[in-house]
Amino acid sequence: MSNYTMKRLRLDRVASQLLAAPTSPAARLSRPSRISRSIPQTCRHSSLYNTQPCQRRHQSTAAPQAPREEELVLEPEDGEPIPETLRSGPLPSPHPSRAASSAKLAALHARLSLSSKIPVETLARALVDPSADAHPKYNNANLAYVGSTVLHYHASETLIARYPRLPMAILFTAMKGYAGNPALHQVARAWGVESAAAPGEEVDPGLLQFDPMKPTVVMNKWGYVRAETIESQKFKSGKGLSGRVMYSSNPFGESSAAKALPNFEVDDGRNTKTMLLQNAPANAHANFVRAVIGAVHMHCGRDAAKSFVKSHFLSRTFDLSKLFEFDLPTRELARLCARENFEAPVARLESETGRLSRTPVFVVGIYSGRDKLGEAPGPDLDSARVAASINALKAWYLYSPGQVSVPSDTFAEDAAPWKPAYVDIGEIIS
Amino acid sequence: MEARPVLRQLTTLFNSCSRTGQTRLQSSTRRTKKALKLPPHPSFLVSGAEADHITYNPRFLPPSDPRRQAQLSSLLRSSTGLAPTAAATNSTTTTDREIPALEEKHQVPVPKFNVTREQVAEMRALRAADPTKWSVVRLAEKFECSKLFVMICCKASAEHQVRERERKEAIKARWGPIRSQAREDRKKRRTLLLRGEL
Repeated sequence: MSNYTMKRLRLDRVASQLLAAPTSPAARLSRPSRISRSIPQTCRHSSLYNTQPCQRRHQSTAAPQAPREEELVLEPEDGEPIPETLRSGPLPSPHPSRAASSAKLAALHARLSLSSKIPVETLARALVDPSADAHPKYNNANLAYVGSTVLHYHASETLIARYPRLPMAILFTAMKGYAGNPALHQVARAWGVESAAAPGEEVDPGLLQFDPMKPTVVMNKWGYVRAETIESQKFKSGKGLSGRVMYSSNPFGESSAAKALPNFEVDDGRNTKTMLLQNAPANAHANFVRAVIGAVHMHCGRDAAKSFVKSHFLSRTFDLSKLFEFDLPTRELARLCARENFEAPVARLESETGRLSRTPVFVVGIYSGRDKLGEAPGPDLDSARVAASINALKAWYLYSPGQVSVPSDTFAEDAAPWKPAYVDIGEIIS
Repeated sequence: MEARPVLRQLTTLFNSCSRTGQTRLQSSTRRTKKALKLPPHPSFLVSGAEADHITYNPRFLPPSDPRRQAQLSSLLRSSTGLAPTAAATNSTTTTDREIPALEEKHQVPVPKFNVTREQVAEMRALRAADPTKWSVVRLAEKFECSKLFVMICCKASAEHQVRERERKEAIKARWGPIRSQAREDRKKRRTLLLRGEL
């Protein structure tokens, strides 16, 4: 079953075990056989992380508390409850049953105005990083994966529909600005999430728990990753922009440059998610934010997740015009005019003052025929001309059709049929 | 503004009546500065909406944009030059008076494609024979093409390249700290300009 590596990702199947994951022992006691039957199938689909212990976990139906990995080793086959004394050590993260009594967690739930459909136990699980608890049923890795796909999908469709002429490099950077680790770290800080000094059983479940010294999970997968990616990394090829488009393993056009850890606890060694991490706190905060998006998606549905992403991430101010850096703007503008069948651009001196003084100002406009494409002041003629060309090119690249519909609008029941959006053929000089 | 002296007289009168001796005047630097501090003219302030404004250019609208349909008539007029007076309302088209173009050296060079294959061979022969006499600039002048084209066609010998580099190094060695700093600053300004931060 290599189903999940296909381009179309079935989120409902991938994350179905998130909803089925027992948070209260009572629920597990009532329906033991159904859960244990359904697990092997979901395991096949959600083999993103090791789900090896998950089959055995759910057979322990009679355990009074949620059993942890250490218990499972000792668990007898007939399902006898394990005495407290046989436990090998403290739990790596707080028990889910403590979530309901955490004031911090309730405050965070209320602060984010989350729906009551999202239990606080899920929010508590979203706060546990894989570095704190390696067990995939108790950390936020799966939720964060769902959340990251939802966030990347909405960010990319919004950017492309709203700015159809962005160059690829700017698009990658803009994706990072909206959905990258630094931005999500800021969002988590703005949500008022505090991190625990060290993860452990006794920690308040409302604190973010991660361990910077232990391996964790980095959400850098982007749909379909080519098999040649590893080869191209080995031979240091594919560093140009086309290479980034082809071989990048994440939505920000970066190939995972970090080396894989040899002894990881979370991964099964087949995918490239487990990497040496540069900024562990930022990654943990970002994964928490992604996990919250994933929780909203799983518990409240697609539309709620979309509006959550829109209101918390896509509404953030991000000035795209500051990202541009040109090499030869005048030549690029000339190429643009040739491509679009405009007349060749001519620089004209609109006004000037103090030519013989220490601080002259020249206002130069770039004209194509009778139309002015751009205008800028400058301390000398050449600078003014270059600045005017940059202004004209920014006006071209940052063209926006305004508030247009995005493909996900057609998911609604009574949606109008999709009208193809205008997307430009590409960059002028690449 | 007219009320101020009157008020001041009134206050001094009041002060002198109430307390004999000290009166507050604007005689300190701080008070004078405070009195003379005026808010900047509104045109000097860049509001947030204006700062984010992207140059609106009707020329750049794609055919699918509804704004283009609205602009179509004025676009046609402006491109044919039939009604330049109508363009007075539109800031992005020129008016009647012709705005002077910059000199040729400030324009993007238009490739002329005037050099033939034989001329290229001749150019290479000249450059190979005497690279000092037939420099890139001289060859460009002779064949009426750009320096870039000459450099695409010919490659100087390694000795000549080394000689040129040494000559340049010698010139740079003569520069004092002021000139070196000025050239460094010029480079930085160029980078900032291309990033749009200047």
